[in-house]
Amino acid sequence: MNDMTIEDYLAQGGKLTSPGNVPPRYRGELLRLMASFVDSELAGAAGFADTINDAPGIGNRIAAAKITAEKLDHAGRVLAVMGEFGADTRRYDDRHEWAARVARDADLAAARRGDDMRLSVFHYPVQGYVDAVVLNVLMGLATVVQLDEMKRVSYAPLADTFREIAPREARHVELGLNGLRQIVARDDGRAEAVAAIQYWMPKVEATFGQAGSKRFDTLARFGLRHTENEKLRQIWTQRVRDLLLPMGLA
Amino acid sequence: MSRFLPLQITDIRRDTRDAVVVTLRPRPEDAAAFDFTQGQYLTFRHSFDGEELRRSYSICAGRDEGFLRVGIKRVDGGAFSTWANEELAPGMTIEAMPPMGRFFTEINPSAARQYLGFAGGSGITPLLSIIKTTLSREPKSQFTLVYANRGINSIMFREELEDLKNSYLGRLSVIHILETEGQEIDLFTGRIDAEKMTALFENWIDPASVDTAFICGPEPMMLTIADSLKKAGLDEAQIKFELFASGQPGRAKKKAVSKDAVHAGDMTEAVVTLDGATRAFRMPKQGESLLDAALAADMDVPYACKAGVCSTCRAKVLEGEAEMAINHALEDYEVAQGYVLTCQCYPLTDRIVVSYDE
Repeated sequence: MNDMTIEDYLAQGGKLTSPGNVPPRYRGELLRLMASFVDSELAGAAGFADTINDAPGIGNRIAAAKITAEKLDHAGRVLAVMGEFGADTRRYDDRHEWAARVARDADLAAARRGDDMRLSVFHYPVQGYVDAVVLNVLMGLATVVQLDEMKRVSYAPLADTFREIAPREARHVELGLNGLRQIVARDDGRAEAVAAIQYWMPKVEATFGQAGSKRFDTLARFGLRHTENEKLRQIWTQRVRDLLLPMGLA
Repeated sequence: MSRFLPLQITDIRRDTRDAVVVTLRPRPEDAAAFDFTQGQYLTFRHSFDGEELRRSYSICAGRDEGFLRVGIKRVDGGAFSTWANEELAPGMTIEAMPPMGRFFTEINPSAARQYLGFAGGSGITPLLSIIKTTLSREPKSQFTLVYANRGINSIMFREELEDLKNSYLGRLSVIHILETEGQEIDLFTGRIDAEKMTALFENWIDPASVDTAFICGPEPMMLTIADSLKKAGLDEAQIKFELFASGQPGRAKKKAVSKDAVHAGDMTEAVVTLDGATRAFRMPKQGESLLDAALAADMDVPYACKAGVCSTCRAKVLEGEAEMAINHALEDYEVAQGYVLTCQCYPLTDRIVVSYDE
């Protein structure tokens, strides 16, 4: 009744559903992928936390607090999936200084650094409220594009988790755009926003990885990736332009 | 970290020729940990000739039944399922991790939903849990089960399904598809393929009315059904999957090397730190990984895949040298820092100091 290998099954779009039925190599790539998301959310939240105090007005401070809290919650949800693979979820969070950052003018390109799996953009320090809002909008848009891709992963419990997370991450972008509209209403705010966009654009762009990445082929074979890095980068670039143009920022 | 807790077997009965149904009870202090959601599974462990095997089985009880129950079908050559079918008896204790899995949708007592389930063979177990819970907790919802088996004698929970149909009149319908036995209706004979799915949708099931579909069975069946459901208009979020554990290797492995055969000079003194506590033990340089040696020395060191890929067993070599047989998880910089996957780690020096804490 069943002579299909797991590899064939995955190649045909099959879904895996528990740690008991994932092949070893798949498991490693899946855990790595989850660790990258968890570490990025934890580092992102740690970097954004100061914004709660920096934001002008109670409404903006609530928005910053909500974004910070939900990013931590999203990290917790994906970490729970890792926990089903034996990862020590309690100890996991203690492994790193999530708020640690490199110098503002350091050049990491897309390289990972230290021994956590956060995306390189989360190694750069945020400088003040406008900077944080710009990073939140640009990286938030990237996260939405990346989650659209990740909702399709072949590990069903993770795909379900990403489907729960995606609308809330999209809401973070909306909150960020509200903040950005307030900022650009003032001339000095606009100048600051333009400088922040210049600083963060290439760093967020780098999070999409290299064109023609070798790992992509492995991940695609496992059904862990579907759309190439370059294509995702283009979708993101287009969305950034569509949103920033009306504000005179693109 | 995953934790195994004891469960007592309170009842065991044979369901078909090669399947048993095992009822289990946690200790009172563990009751909360085993408060499951319909469709979840339990992971058991048992030692065979010193080699630990872990196997997952779906819970087949409903949430309102007040007990844990799993159905275990014997797999040819499967060490664990054979042991479960032949050796388990009431009063015995077996170790299991608390329930896991996301093969369910939230129950809403006021909802009136149409559910569609597909089960292949022992894939019925999680669906039975879902069906029972849905019927009792969502009184306006209806469930249609399409259940594929080789023949009538291999149908697990046949009587229980009949009883459920009678208890919840008009709310549960069951379509049996039998591979080797002719039935009055041709459609119900053979395997579930794309053609059969089309015919089911034309005559028996209206896909447009389906809120959620659950599929549990072997790989080809899952692919065929998911594909047909998508073509019939269901989106990915409406289709829930549970692949049953066919991918799990079945046989217990033999010990690679007998310890008596190793000369004294081939031994290493291993010093291992875990959770701040350090232990020293002797182990052979070949034939046994550092992880297995630490486990044999009764250290509860973390591990999962034992295949060099999940990185759960990562530790740092502080003194001495070791080599890794396989490394699919650690990046070059981690290796440069002295990290090893202990499940793939074999000492090269007469003394090695390793820490899981760093």
